[in-house]
Amino acid sequence: MSTTAPTLVSIDHFRMDFGKTTVVKDLSFSVRRGETFGLLGANGSGKTTTIRALLGIYQPTGGQLLINGQPYTVDGNVKLGYLPEERGLYKKETVLSVMIYFGRLKGMSKRAAENWSRSYLERVSLLDKATTRIDRLSGGQQQKIQLGVTIMNNPELLILDEPTKGFDPVNRRLLMTIIEEHQQAGATVIFVTHQMEEVERLCDRIILLKDGTASAYGTIADVKRHYNGASLDDIFVTIYGDQSEGGAQRA
Amino acid sequence: MTFSLRYTVISRKGGRSVHNLGTVFSFEVIRSLKKKSFWITAMAFPIIIVVIFAIIFFSNQATNKAAENTKNQHFNVVVTDVSGIVSPQLLKAIGATTSTDKDQGIADVAQGKIDAYFYYPADIATQKVQVYAKDVGLFDNSRYQAVASMLLQQSVARKVDAQTKAILQNTVGYDAVTYKDGSVYNGFSQIIAPGIFLVLFYILIVMFGNQMLTSTTEEKENRVIEMILTTIKARTLIIGKILSLVVLALVQVCAILAPIIIIYLLFRHQLALPNINLTNIPLDPLRIGIGAALFACSFMLFTGLLVAIGAAVPTAKEAGGFFGVVMIFLFGPLYAVTLFISAPDSTLVKVLSFFPFTAPIPLMLRNAVGNLSMPGALLGIVILAVSATIVLAIAIRLFRYGALEYSKRLSLTTIFHKKDTAIIRR
Repeated sequence: MSTTAPTLVSIDHFRMDFGKTTVVKDLSFSVRRGETFGLLGANGSGKTTTIRALLGIYQPTGGQLLINGQPYTVDGNVKLGYLPEERGLYKKETVLSVMIYFGRLKGMSKRAAENWSRSYLERVSLLDKATTRIDRLSGGQQQKIQLGVTIMNNPELLILDEPTKGFDPVNRRLLMTIIEEHQQAGATVIFVTHQMEEVERLCDRIILLKDGTASAYGTIADVKRHYNGASLDDIFVTIYGDQSEGGAQRA
Repeated sequence: MTFSLRYTVISRKGGRSVHNLGTVFSFEVIRSLKKKSFWITAMAFPIIIVVIFAIIFFSNQATNKAAENTKNQHFNVVVTDVSGIVSPQLLKAIGATTSTDKDQGIADVAQGKIDAYFYYPADIATQKVQVYAKDVGLFDNSRYQAVASMLLQQSVARKVDAQTKAILQNTVGYDAVTYKDGSVYNGFSQIIAPGIFLVLFYILIVMFGNQMLTSTTEEKENRVIEMILTTIKARTLIIGKILSLVVLALVQVCAILAPIIIIYLLFRHQLALPNINLTNIPLDPLRIGIGAALFACSFMLFTGLLVAIGAAVPTAKEAGGFFGVVMIFLFGPLYAVTLFISAPDSTLVKVLSFFPFTAPIPLMLRNAVGNLSMPGALLGIVILAVSATIVLAIAIRLFRYGALEYSKRLSLTTIFHKKDTAIIRR
């Protein structure tokens, strides 16, 4: 990824209050086009809140959150693929009908959505489940469908909020492969995670949030250098060591 | 394998919104039509109607048969007629004997020597006719009283002329013609066309209300709301859902009416149903138009209200608890139905007619019976239309606010105090 690539996502002095509780105090960072960016932090550090504000689900208390120089709107200044932390699908509908529905909402024709869905289901060995109700699939199978729905419009911006949460090793590997494919295709990926191994493998740059502000921000090499060459794992413990919940999560 | 299938993206903003509205609409309609529960609900009403008609049909047949049997039955009956009304010829015709000893008659029945003993007192206007009989089963026991009654009726009928007999038996026919504004006016037939909207509204809300109530809880219950809200506008989703409910409601109505019409056309004579000549039903375009406008606004108001409630609570189960409250508002005014017809200018009728949440039934009913003035009708339509718009806007706002409230109900503070709350932007 070129360090001179144009900025796709810019967050400038973002602040988020919920009533009297401040979740994000003053956060600024940018994500370049084609970059894979890691948004790291313990539970409650403001990662999901930042993503939700970026995507217009929350109204920020202060600051600007822009994609392609504009606040995100569903009418589309960017093709978005979003895997939220809170996941689910229409459980009583069939796999194919749900995938076609989301494909259509993302601007695909019915035929294109169906063709894409069948190809994806074949790849993840679920083609025989195309007409099965989602609530009759195993948890792992549902994760595959959720992932397919996320990427089915060939997104130029892929935002994955704790994507490996609850994933079994097979699906985790599938997810990593798919992220790498999208990286190679030039997509920008924002990756919210606790998993340092995945961060090292995939991310160009990272930001570590703590108490609503950035504790570290830059390339992985920069961050490691700042912490005297420590591993990301050790850096995480250094920053969040006093937050047992985050440590437990990371483990 | 990479996923680089080419496809056309609807890129224009307006085109995208219409495309998404159509997508939500078709998704909601198709999946509802595929549900067994939809068709079970749709068919329940006509099935109940069929069952009721069947019961009436078989009951009529059984009653006629029983009456025929009763007429042909010859009891071993003893009669004491102190009143002197009962015709001796009739008693002879049914094989009855007379007696003056009441106690003996009762004793004979008790001992099984005779089937029945009838005692007609001196003054049947103030004293009861006494029937003593052998038990022949709960339902068949009524035949004794039927015979005792028949003896009286036919005895009296023999003593009067045909016209008096018709009056006494209440078989005189009447042909009433009423006039209004110099023209023949049939009040009851005038009700039919505008009254259809009232019946339609009642059926739709009762049968479809629960689906309206839970239509917006599904996204929350399935945790699919974030993916939806980052893909389409909340307004598009809500309007798409409401439009789908309207179409599904119309499908439901067709499913209800079709069997009823078929049964009427095929079995009208067997069921002794009246012959309805549709060409005789008066069609007043103004009242029909007002009825249609009241129906449309009322339907949108209550659909919006039920959707708003669904959007404010976390689960369908919790939403269900509010259904009863809405129904009380909506159908409570039916208890004052006679007031709407006989005293349209009373304060209570005016309040119920123009308070948005109670207005639909009074306004549609008054329009049907013809006591809703033009200014009153226009005022009612405006009140309902404005209320429907406001409620719909609140429903969308509630959906935005309640989107990520997976486990708790929205409070009024949460909804209306922007400063204290992170709200959804669109």
